[in-house]
Amino acid sequence: MIRNLISVFNNSIFSSEIKNENELYFEIDTDKVREICSYIHKSKDLPLVSMFASDERDLNGKYAIFYVFAERQQANLLILKTTIDPNRMEIPSISETIPAAASYEREIKDLFGIHPIGHPEPKRLVFHSNWPEGKHPLRKDYKLNERPKIAKEIIDFKRIEGKGVYEIPVGPVHAGIIEPGHFRFSVAGEPIINLEAQLYFVHKGIEKLSEGKSIENCLYISERISGDETFANSLCYCQAIEKIAKVKVPLRAQYTRIVFAELERLISHLGDLGGICLDTAYLFAAFHFRTLRGWAYLVADELCGMRFLRSINKLGGIRKDFVSGKEKSIIKQLRKIRDELDDTAKIIRSNSMFIDRVENTGVLTTRTARDLNAVGPGGRASGINHDVRKDFPYLVYDLLEFKVPYYQYGDVNCRMNVKLEECFESIDLIIKAIELMPAGKISETIPTLEPYSSAFGITESARGENIHFVMVGENNSVFRYKIRTPSFCNWPALCQAVRGNIVPDFPLINKSFNLSYAGNDL
Amino acid sequence: MFDKTKKILKYPRLTQDSPKREANFDHYLGNPFIDTSACDMCGECASDCPSNAIFNDEAKGRLDIRYDQCIYCMQCVDSCRLNAINTMKRIFLAEKDKDMLRMSAYSADEKDTVEWEQLGKKLHTEIKSVFGRSLNIREVDSGSCNGCDYEINALNNPFIDVERFGVSFVASPRHADMLLVTGAAVRNMEQALLKTYNATPDPKLVVAVGACACSGGIFRDSYATRKGIEEIIPVDVYVPGCPPRPQAIVYGILKAIGRL
Repeated sequence: MIRNLISVFNNSIFSSEIKNENELYFEIDTDKVREICSYIHKSKDLPLVSMFASDERDLNGKYAIFYVFAERQQANLLILKTTIDPNRMEIPSISETIPAAASYEREIKDLFGIHPIGHPEPKRLVFHSNWPEGKHPLRKDYKLNERPKIAKEIIDFKRIEGKGVYEIPVGPVHAGIIEPGHFRFSVAGEPIINLEAQLYFVHKGIEKLSEGKSIENCLYISERISGDETFANSLCYCQAIEKIAKVKVPLRAQYTRIVFAELERLISHLGDLGGICLDTAYLFAAFHFRTLRGWAYLVADELCGMRFLRSINKLGGIRKDFVSGKEKSIIKQLRKIRDELDDTAKIIRSNSMFIDRVENTGVLTTRTARDLNAVGPGGRASGINHDVRKDFPYLVYDLLEFKVPYYQYGDVNCRMNVKLEECFESIDLIIKAIELMPAGKISETIPTLEPYSSAFGITESARGENIHFVMVGENNSVFRYKIRTPSFCNWPALCQAVRGNIVPDFPLINKSFNLSYAGNDL
Repeated sequence: MFDKTKKILKYPRLTQDSPKREANFDHYLGNPFIDTSACDMCGECASDCPSNAIFNDEAKGRLDIRYDQCIYCMQCVDSCRLNAINTMKRIFLAEKDKDMLRMSAYSADEKDTVEWEQLGKKLHTEIKSVFGRSLNIREVDSGSCNGCDYEINALNNPFIDVERFGVSFVASPRHADMLLVTGAAVRNMEQALLKTYNATPDPKLVVAVGACACSGGIFRDSYATRKGIEEIIPVDVYVPGCPPRPQAIVYGILKAIGRL
């Protein structure tokens, strides 16, 4: 791959280097970004999994843009880095050839003020009309607590015009107990022609907030990116720091982390399944899933005293030996959950009215899923057989046997089945991990890190592939922390999946993806 | 059909404390507490605290924890060389007056004796005397991490089942008596939060749920957040926690009703 790329684009690649075993860095010419990216994406069929900018003016007087492609078969990350001169704040847009890049480029434009030239729809993403022009908080010279005055800019929604076409605005405050987001439906009668989701209502500036924090304190920020993905996010962050420090986490800690990561997946999926049943007004099943979820929370409580699995990870391992002495009771409770889940699954699968509602609803085609890099259960239900636990094995997932369910058709039913089967796999994985857990140390100390070294952490959260980039600065502080959660990839996919469906099915489709607003908005 | 009936008969009622007390608070972490007699004021915990919740109370000459700002991460428990910081296993921390949360006068007092079932019964009678029938709540997320929202959601699960105390969640602020607000009142939600508040008919109550809503929590210093929702709307009761447990939220609701 490296030789291939260098031979084709000999003159445009300035340097190449391998970091942290599987991260291949290429520094490329800004003018050739479009060619090289489309070569990698089209000819080599590698998905764009992250793209971000970094203000490196203090280091070399320039901004840097990173394009991250994943070579999933070989467990490699291919990172193209290009530098931008502060006097010429432009990059050539690659969204025309790689649709997944569209949101990343808009994000970079808002946060850094680097304009994507040739972007099909370069409107604001992160900031709403209240944010003034010309303020870009992720630049290093922007002060963390600078709160600009309320502005009145105008951002338009996409207008669909025609006879009988009207708009339904929904949100940001919704009827249920969920997070805020604004949805603008364009409909003709019942079917949805277009859905535009205006998110970023809960944008908190997490990336800016973590800059300059000590690496230990930043862990707590990573735990609060998205409440129900706490463990996956903190694990991802720890993984990145441990890679930079070249520390190998003790085996006992690795197995314990698997227990918690799978428990989080179980809790999250049971909630989603309950939500799907609730949105089809199938209350019996909905409350049974809630009961199961309640039991899973009791397991979490017994293990660590926290329902949201916070304060478990520590850089270099785990905080306490959470599992010891509780093995029997945990396994007993999990077996009970497994048996009851099996019963409930049989009941809902044999209910024809329910299946009628979820089948053929909210179809996300394989093509669209691939174009937008849909990840997690959303992608796996649409024929993308990708799971970070298999493709980029971390912890000791490669030593444990488990299946990754996947389906082709991409409707609500497929997503529900993926989640249902993953619940069983997760329970089995927890039991296996507890049984195989060796005795020993639970954490290693993190030494002083070399300034300006960086690494990627990749984990599979309940919602899918989670990629965090951490670059450390001086004195073990964080220089740049880029968080890319699965929700960021799947929101555009959701907007595509609802097209052609009737408005009352939107909550159901939304629930089958169950994306995090907080994880997307940061 | 038979399977369904079998399941309903197998688990007829799962609500905590029913028929007998089932909830076990033993492994709850609760709040950290500084034992001033063992503390040598080295300040290690204060510099390690990710949300700057530990401060030097110069008037009293001791270190204290602001519970509205604390994210209950237990970093200070690990940081203390002298083991002067312990967890108190207390979850019912809600206060009407924010200063009460900052005084940190938490030693063993009557708050520890609150029992969940009694709490619910008390709530039920209070609601009857104040609102006649039931209390209607609207939840607003003003920029949380969604942890608090999941815990508010959990109030409706079969274990807590808050509806048996006459509390129900409504879809519109116009039907609500109380707003449960989570999150740090972020810039993009300010207007929506204000509009929701104004749409709620008087008399109304506002309960700030979670560290972010009480004080901004770990996010308080950012360009997009505020130091708690009280900068925008008046707050009746503060429920600290990150996130607070469902029982703690119910306790907060009860406190708020007592205010009317």
